[in-house]
Amino acid sequence: MSRPQKPDPGPLASFIPRTAGPWLSEADQVFDAASIFSYIDGAGEVYRSYNMKLLVARRFHKDGKPDLVVDAFDMGSPADAFGVFTHDLDGEDAGIGQGSNYKAGLLSFWKDRYFLSVYAEEETPETKALVLGLGRAVAAAIPGEGKKPELLDLLPPAGLEAGKVRYFRSFSILNYHHFVADADILRLDQAEDAVLAPYEGGGGQSDLLIVRYGQEAKAGLAAGSFREACLPNSKGKAQRMKNGRWTACRALARYVAVVFDAASAKEAETRLDAVSRLATGPRPGWK
Amino acid sequence: MKKRTITRRDFLKAAAAAPLAGAAIPVLRGAASAAAGPAATSPDGKVRVVLVRDPSPLGPGGAPPAEVVQRMLDDGVRALLGEADVVKAWKTLVKPEDTVGIKTNRWRYIPTTAEVEQALKRRVLDAGVAEDRVGIDDQGVLRNPVFRNATALVNARPMRSHHWAGVGSLIKNYIMFTPQPSAWHDDTCADLAKIWFLPAVKGKTRLNVLVMFTPLFHGVGPHHYAREYTWEYKGLILSRDPVAADATGLRVIQAKRREFFGDDRPLQMTPHHIQLADTRHHLGVSDPARIELVKLGWGEGALI
Repeated sequence: MSRPQKPDPGPLASFIPRTAGPWLSEADQVFDAASIFSYIDGAGEVYRSYNMKLLVARRFHKDGKPDLVVDAFDMGSPADAFGVFTHDLDGEDAGIGQGSNYKAGLLSFWKDRYFLSVYAEEETPETKALVLGLGRAVAAAIPGEGKKPELLDLLPPAGLEAGKVRYFRSFSILNYHHFVADADILRLDQAEDAVLAPYEGGGGQSDLLIVRYGQEAKAGLAAGSFREACLPNSKGKAQRMKNGRWTACRALARYVAVVFDAASAKEAETRLDAVSRLATGPRPGWK
Repeated sequence: MKKRTITRRDFLKAAAAAPLAGAAIPVLRGAASAAAGPAATSPDGKVRVVLVRDPSPLGPGGAPPAEVVQRMLDDGVRALLGEADVVKAWKTLVKPEDTVGIKTNRWRYIPTTAEVEQALKRRVLDAGVAEDRVGIDDQGVLRNPVFRNATALVNARPMRSHHWAGVGSLIKNYIMFTPQPSAWHDDTCADLAKIWFLPAVKGKTRLNVLVMFTPLFHGVGPHHYAREYTWEYKGLILSRDPVAADATGLRVIQAKRREFFGDDRPLQMTPHHIQLADTRHHLGVSDPARIELVKLGWGEGALI
């Protein structure tokens, strides 16, 4: 009986330059989903929740200067690379890869099935330039591009804050971005994937969550579980919550859509209607 | 309808509602926690926590000079135990026949620091424990013969925001006593307190020291560290009760976040393992109303 083969870190490592200006690289460290905790502690759970396959970490050193670190993740699919990128969207677009952010010495971006973190242990004008240069070099070395998850096609475009969309597969990550409940009342452990998107309207921000399940029956059970826990008086319609905002939930074939914090019942129901049309008709397509 | 036990917002409200305490130094009383060992309490039954700060400049490793750290630790222990003589105070914590493990934390960016480790070790030796029965370790505790035979533990680590547990806490510092630390990550580490009931640590902890020299109050990226989100608080928080010390440290972190961000921004993950250590696992006290906070030394910017 043969052992499962470990992924070869060579191709991933080949995307990363050996030097960054006068900074020289140290020996690579390689981790998989089982060993990642020895490198980045509890945050490893985030990468595991997006099915990470491999991480190659390369540290760059120059005496008397802050170290630079490139963490290159092979996430196995463009959807998961995009998803883990959306976990932390704080920062300014650096124009690198298929989506990027830079803040406080940290550049993150995704391209194809890869997610990259390029990090300076202390931000200076010099290290910022090196971080961005390393990022551009890695992005240029990755030959292909990846497609964003299809689930994003179900987000109605009107009012959508497209740069703040989160894609994920676990209820802990959902709670990270929008606290719903202590328990997995939407049964995300049985879902395929989920997207959470903020919408800006005249009455303030609301969130739209869409979860995709493998079967229609699972979606129905999840919607029922959510309504029982959060919307016990809704009778299938939007319900006003303690904060004065409106929440509504609907099962749509294999999907469950939830609007949180709408300014009115009408806004919540209108958005769910729009999701329903997209789920059953032509979609706008996501760029 | 499913009842929600605790929400992120609920926890933040509880953590933010703490009263300020006076600086009097009360005497030791003998309340006890089965898992953590005896707790120092005030006459009115509150669990005592000591915050000691010093304005001395920090060295390159992130700690004040060794002699300052020793003085801070000694002042803190005296106040915590109500004993003027620091060696006598330590002799109530450890006995010459004890084998003592000092559980440290060697996270690359903000470690416990050698100054704290050595200040603790010095006082354990002063209490009469032979040097070959004192160990300092972090990730190797399960293999370290001193820790395997330990009859007493001293728990010392920095508090920092943590990507999965909300904050890296004294409670969490014992995760290395388990063979598979990641097995404790469910519900963002909700039940970390259960570790304290495992045979390797149960009832052995004599002192908890939460290092607050340069706390991290917000994190970014895989390594969850940016110097921009640290500040020089220059404090130590001491308690016999790890939950009370963590709850107090968390108040400092929350206060700094309010000051920095200008709003009541929740931590990226709920640090509910601290409150659940109290309400679910009865390891200690997390309610600020049941904690007597004794503040010593530098008061500027104390935040709580």
